[in-house]
Amino acid sequence: MHKETIMEKSHEIENGAPPPSGKSRFEKLKNAAAVLFASKTAVVGLFLVLFWVSTALLAPYITSYGPNDQDWKAPNQSPSWSHPLGTDELGRDLWSRLAYGARIVLVILPVTDSIWIPGGTALWGVFASLLFGATLGLLGGYRGGWIDEIIMRFLDAMMSVPIILLYLIIVAAIGASAVNVVLAIAIVGTPGVARLVRSLALDIRTRDYVRAAETRGESDAYIMFTEILPNAKGPIIIDAMLRVGYAIFAMGTLGFLGLGLPPPSPDWGSMVAKGREFILIGSPWAALWPSLAIASLVVGLNLLADGLREESMRYQ
Amino acid sequence: MAKFILRRFLLLLLTMFLVSMAVFLIAEASPGNVAKNVLGAFITPEQEASFLAQMGLDKPVWQRYLYWLAGSDGHASKKVGLPLKRITTAKGYEEWWAVDEAGRMIRWKMQGESLVALVRGETGDETESEDNGRWTTDENGKSIFWGVDRQNHAVLWEKGADREVWSFVVGKGWMKTTGGPVQYIPLKKGFLRGDPGVSLRTGRPVGKSMFVRLRNSLVLAGIAFVIVMPLALVLGIIAGLKEGSLKDRFLSISGMMFSVIPEFATGIFLILIMSHWLQLVPGATVFGEKAPWERPDMLVLPVLTLTLIELGYVLRITRASMSEVMRSPYIRTAFLKGLPYWRVVTGHAVRNALIAPITVIMLHVNWLLGGIVIVEVVFGYPGLGQYLLDSALYKDINALEAGTMIMVLLAVSTQLVADIIYTFLNPRIRYA
Repeated sequence: MHKETIMEKSHEIENGAPPPSGKSRFEKLKNAAAVLFASKTAVVGLFLVLFWVSTALLAPYITSYGPNDQDWKAPNQSPSWSHPLGTDELGRDLWSRLAYGARIVLVILPVTDSIWIPGGTALWGVFASLLFGATLGLLGGYRGGWIDEIIMRFLDAMMSVPIILLYLIIVAAIGASAVNVVLAIAIVGTPGVARLVRSLALDIRTRDYVRAAETRGESDAYIMFTEILPNAKGPIIIDAMLRVGYAIFAMGTLGFLGLGLPPPSPDWGSMVAKGREFILIGSPWAALWPSLAIASLVVGLNLLADGLREESMRYQ
Repeated sequence: MAKFILRRFLLLLLTMFLVSMAVFLIAEASPGNVAKNVLGAFITPEQEASFLAQMGLDKPVWQRYLYWLAGSDGHASKKVGLPLKRITTAKGYEEWWAVDEAGRMIRWKMQGESLVALVRGETGDETESEDNGRWTTDENGKSIFWGVDRQNHAVLWEKGADREVWSFVVGKGWMKTTGGPVQYIPLKKGFLRGDPGVSLRTGRPVGKSMFVRLRNSLVLAGIAFVIVMPLALVLGIIAGLKEGSLKDRFLSISGMMFSVIPEFATGIFLILIMSHWLQLVPGATVFGEKAPWERPDMLVLPVLTLTLIELGYVLRITRASMSEVMRSPYIRTAFLKGLPYWRVVTGHAVRNALIAPITVIMLHVNWLLGGIVIVEVVFGYPGLGQYLLDSALYKDINALEAGTMIMVLLAVSTQLVADIIYTFLNPRIRYA
């Protein structure tokens, strides 16, 4: 059944009006949407991701309590009309905390208590690892020689260290805050990005336009960032999409180990760690919901990426 | 091949060296110190200073690193002027003694203004005698003496300095004594000579605690490994036999889901379902003095959590490899020759399909170690991961370094083993 629909769709695309030579933006968007909606898994993934993104964006409008509002008379409650997901050990509404937690992951990065910048903590982590990784990879790939050798040996050493250990050492050392979580995600992600960019740079530096730029006498930095990097962006973007999933995973894990955002931030991982203590006394909700939240978001991202990749391969 | 192994081995040593330095430097650069972490926020500055001095933490970072790496006994022995020796007593404690000119084992203590020598007899008994002849005079005209005290330090005593010493006695709290030394060098053999030192947090030798923890972790990892591997390979082969079939879609999507959900979330789900609602098995591990295998019911959930996470990953690799093999021309040839389906699958496909997963599994040990740390924390399992986390949080540098080194060693050496296995499975690959 599933296969048939896909066959039909691809048939339609082949037999339909031939696309105009200069594809309009709308046309491109339509094709992308066709690829996306052909895969059930991608649609499920998209739905999950969109759910959390909209929850994060609309958090103040869809919750009736603040994330840190305490109701001392109602701690550890089961779901009810006034608290749709129940309350935690301090009587804070779990739905509000979940929604504001999604905000930290996807929409804002709290730098201090009062200052925040747009772009979620996980997204900033990925962006920073791209920045460091691309710089190191370009440097190694384009310059080659002993610079490359030193960078690669250093990255090899970093990659062979168990990831969890890196997280532990980094965050235990520099203390728990959103910025440090970004830093930890960036440091752990850097070797992977650097290796990818390096292999791309090794290929691209032999192209004629790089030769031309060299002959013009452009600086190394110009060649690396304006000649090589834009031409390597395709694989880097795909890699970055997968890294967002890892970053959310890492944020949760750090929070769970007590190395995430300091309390009382509604950090999903630390909510689980705290809620875990109350399972034995019979109120599992505070541990269950944030676990479900993080699991559904990460699974959604992966379903989306997987479905997209499979479908685009099928069309090729 | 030998050259390749040698090069990788050297790289392993280099990695361990770099990592050990990095851990030292990062721990150094971080705010807070171990004294407040271990003894609480309410110690006085004098108590803090005394604690740091006794632990040797007042020394510059390069010197502490050298002591940790190569031991402090050589340096201390020069100061004392006598050879130093580590013995293990009948009760199992490790003690450092100086060996004096007559070959006797000797330590010292201060009583008021006078130095008292403690000489250890053959049977472990100690005889006390005054030993004031050992005082020397330094350039400032003070009487000083470098000796070994009873807490495994090489110490510098100064006559009349009458230092106050705060020492923490378990069960009694802080005890103030006088006549303390001016400088301390904690005696240890150093990591390179097999002595990772004493845990700053517990005061126990790191090696001993680490052994039990490592054993527990290996039990957990070993059981999970034995369950995961055959299961994942079989399921992966089933999924890969017919790509896009219902079985395949179910197995690969559920495999993916379990492998991307964080370990702690999987653990919480399992605790809630199996232990909280169904009440089948305990949701936490409490072993006390028992070994993990004496309470198999407590192992069920940790092992299951690890299994689910690892299962998905290996399954997907096997599936990808299997489906690729099934599309290859020699499989089609075998079918066209008229061989029965299962002969083709078992005889031709599976053997070639298993090369990739087996090496990837070894590379995956790095991830497995991470998973174990989280699973141990979720279930309160007394393993290496929990130990490492506590050490990192307390800045217990000796324990942290030792745990780190073991983890790096495990991760890097399994990568090396993977590379070597690969050459046997796939003879086309040669390492220069």
